[in-house]
Amino acid sequence: MKTETDFQLKVIAFCCKWCSSAAADLAGTSRMKMLPNFTIIPTMCSSRVDPELILKAFERGAWGVLVAGCHPGDCHYQNGNYKTQRRIFLLRKLLSDFGIEPDRLRLEWISASEGAKFAQVVNEFIERVDELGPLKD
Amino acid sequence: MAERIGVFVCKCGPNIGDRIDVDSVVAEAEGIEDVVTAKSHNLLCSEDGIRFLQEEIRKGGLTRVVIAACTPKQYEQKFMRACEGVGLNPYLLQMTNIREQCAWVTPDPAQATAKAKSLVRAATMRATLQEPIEKKEIEIHPDVLVVGSGVAGLEATLTLAQKGRKVYLLEKSPCIGGLGARFEEVYQTMECAPCMLAPELQEVLQKENIEAITYGELEGVVGSYGNFTVKIRRKARYVSEEACIGCSACFEPCPVEVSNEFDEGLSKRKAIYIPFAGALPNVPVIDEANCIKLKGGECNACQEACPFDAIDFDDQDRIEEKRVGAIILATGSTQFNPSSLAQYGYGRFDNVLTGLELERLNASNGPTGGKILLKDGREPRSVAFVYCVGRKEKGHCSGICCMYSVKLAHLLKEKIPGVEVYSFYTDLCLPKKEHQRLYEEVVEKGVEFIRSNGSERVSRDGKGLVVEYKADSTSKSLAVDMVVLAPAIEPNPDTAKLAAILDIPLDERGFFSEEHPLMKSFGTPLEGVFIAGCCQGPKDIGDAVAQGGAAAGRILSRLIPGEKLELEPIVAVIDEEICGGCNTCISICPYSAISRDEEKKVAVVDDTLCRGCGTCVAACPTGAARAKHFTNEEIFAEIREVVR
Ligand SMILES: Cc1cc2nc3c(=O)[nH]c(=O)nc-3n(C[C@H](O)[C@H](O)[C@H](O)COP(=O)(O)OP(=O)(O)OC[C@H]3O[C@@H](n4cnc5c(N)ncnc54)[C@H](O)[C@@H]3O)c2cc1C
Ligand code: SF4
Ligand code: SF4
Ligand code: FES
Repeated sequence: MKTETDFQLKVIAFCCKWCSSAAADLAGTSRMKMLPNFTIIPTMCSSRVDPELILKAFERGAWGVLVAGCHPGDCHYQNGNYKTQRRIFLLRKLLSDFGIEPDRLRLEWISASEGAKFAQVVNEFIERVDELGPLKD
Repeated sequence: MAERIGVFVCKCGPNIGDRIDVDSVVAEAEGIEDVVTAKSHNLLCSEDGIRFLQEEIRKGGLTRVVIAACTPKQYEQKFMRACEGVGLNPYLLQMTNIREQCAWVTPDPAQATAKAKSLVRAATMRATLQEPIEKKEIEIHPDVLVVGSGVAGLEATLTLAQKGRKVYLLEKSPCIGGLGARFEEVYQTMECAPCMLAPELQEVLQKENIEAITYGELEGVVGSYGNFTVKIRRKARYVSEEACIGCSACFEPCPVEVSNEFDEGLSKRKAIYIPFAGALPNVPVIDEANCIKLKGGECNACQEACPFDAIDFDDQDRIEEKRVGAIILATGSTQFNPSSLAQYGYGRFDNVLTGLELERLNASNGPTGGKILLKDGREPRSVAFVYCVGRKEKGHCSGICCMYSVKLAHLLKEKIPGVEVYSFYTDLCLPKKEHQRLYEEVVEKGVEFIRSNGSERVSRDGKGLVVEYKADSTSKSLAVDMVVLAPAIEPNPDTAKLAAILDIPLDERGFFSEEHPLMKSFGTPLEGVFIAGCCQGPKDIGDAVAQGGAAAGRILSRLIPGEKLELEPIVAVIDEEICGGCNTCISICPYSAISRDEEKKVAVVDDTLCRGCGTCVAACPTGAARAKHFTNEEIFAEIREVVR
């Protein structure tokens, strides 16, 4: 699946435009090897990531959603990432009610210097959702 | 009317060109609805590339532009300016990153190409929905309010005033200069503090564009960066600043004596007083709480003594409003009260002092005229310093106590020949390039440093004191005449009061919370409100001055007379038709940018305060709050194309 060019396995990675996007860029400048199945959608802060956006991604057929933000204390809007954390925690609990495995939603704090971590998190996450397979309708 | 979209794929030389089949990405783009031009370029960020882009926008009458290239962090601003240059609103441009997040990380070119196509499709569908956003600019007031006149506030005031700014310097106490003005000598230069400060204080009082308001307090603030209205209470001084010439004739006849807080209670002052000799401005105040006349009694002694008729018992507090564009808080800190730790005997035994009290004893403008004396008037023959008092309780190292204790030890050795000086420490904090040297100097002068485990106890033995301590796992004791404690620095009570007035956060220790601890230690989350000096956290004079200068510099570079202030254009908006008035967003906004319109019962975003984080948008249960440039529809469109 992952090797086909019209890959079905799709992971959406919401990244705040500060730390986590910078980490994604650094993964690129460091020429990390990454699976092609992820797409970054930037937001100003991870706290912009509405549960509605995440559910929409699953509804549309994303196999997994990663939300990445700055480390606790590093958010560029005071404490947006704490709010994100609370929201994702609650949403993960709710997902099973929709028949979605909570593992398909992942939250990570990734700093601008953690390009390698970004690559590793994304690759591992893709492997994990690959094990879970496509969403059941 | 259908949009006219142009898609431009940059090869970035070989960086993208060699790893992605750019032609097939262009072909894919051509097939997307409303795309009228799709082209590739070898290096879009080059001069030639920008010219090409602008020409294409003009020629094609493009209404939307998509650029697939490197990370937007690199050239998005440049491309936005290029669009603006040919009359296209820069927010109608959408970039997608096919280099860092595609070409460079995807080893297989076929997969990289497929991914690039999906990214281009997503960006194009998003671009269709994007709306023009106008740059927001507001008129500003270039004047500045500085609160607190210690070294940090002084530096800020003078830096601003040198550039011609009107500065209101608001000081709570009757005199300017802060803590520094009460020291005799300061490390690391070991120079005379009043001499170091005098020129600055004089300049503050004399410069035309500085209005120093002493004996005043901040009562209220409304508005935002560029346009604050501040309410200041000028407390009744009962002595006219115009008429008084500072002759001091009024002190002597005043029958009231109370303890002088400016000498840490080591001396007495009258009800009419100036804090210490040489305090500026040289105009006394009458202390309402202690003046017989002001308490309703019979007394006129000072008024009768004043040759200039400067005393006015009918004086009243005055509230004044000033308009300013920015505010700098430089209100200093206070010290942990060691009497709460019984083991040190502070407050119970004579001759157990704090460092600040010894500073006053040592100061020529202090209670003893600079003689370091015991309570009974003798010179101490032996003195023990105890470091880190309250460090454990407060949970932070204040970073200055070691050095000022070293300084005081040095001064003792100079002032009292043969005095024995001991320093009990658990850890020594001697940062900066000169501090270690001063420490080595006092060691050479015979100050004995004793590393203990922090369990010092002070007890009384006849007229003297005994320090019991534990070093090298053995309990020992030492008899001395005087004990000097170095208490931790803690926030003063005004910090919380001001934070409430300005609606800015405190950190977990109660100091003002900085915008960023390293990159913007002098900023607060509220734009236009800055912090400097010990109100942000304990520090020495050099660091306090640096922050004062930095805050002033920020203001000078953004708040410019005659120019408008440019605001973050990507903000949240609330649709009043949809808003249910639940107030969720109001409580969640980190910048207090949302308030309630009581009439319409809806929430309203103040776009001068909003920084566009989108927290409120995610929290709004009704969908009334929208994030400009990051709307749900725009993000849904991206999702839809990515997961096709
Ligand atoms: C015992 C001791 C010795 C020291 N020795 C040295 C030394 O030798 N060398 C050195 O570099 N550093 C020394 N320091 C540190 C130094 O005192 C500080 O770095 C410096 O005073 C910080 O300046 P500041 O402007 O932040 O605050 P401050 O000097 O404390 O000034 C704050 C000012 O704000 C005013 N204020 C407070 N609240 C309000 C309000 N609500 N409204 C208006 N005004 C208000 C206060 O009255 C005061 O005038 C020493 C500190 C201590 C305690
Ligand atoms: S959260 Fe939404 S509905 Fe509630 S007050 Fe704010 S904008 Fe209105
Ligand atoms: S976008 Fe952020 S800063 Fe702006 S109003 Fe909403 S929560 Fe406040
Ligand atoms: S800005 Fe990165 S999480 Fe808030």
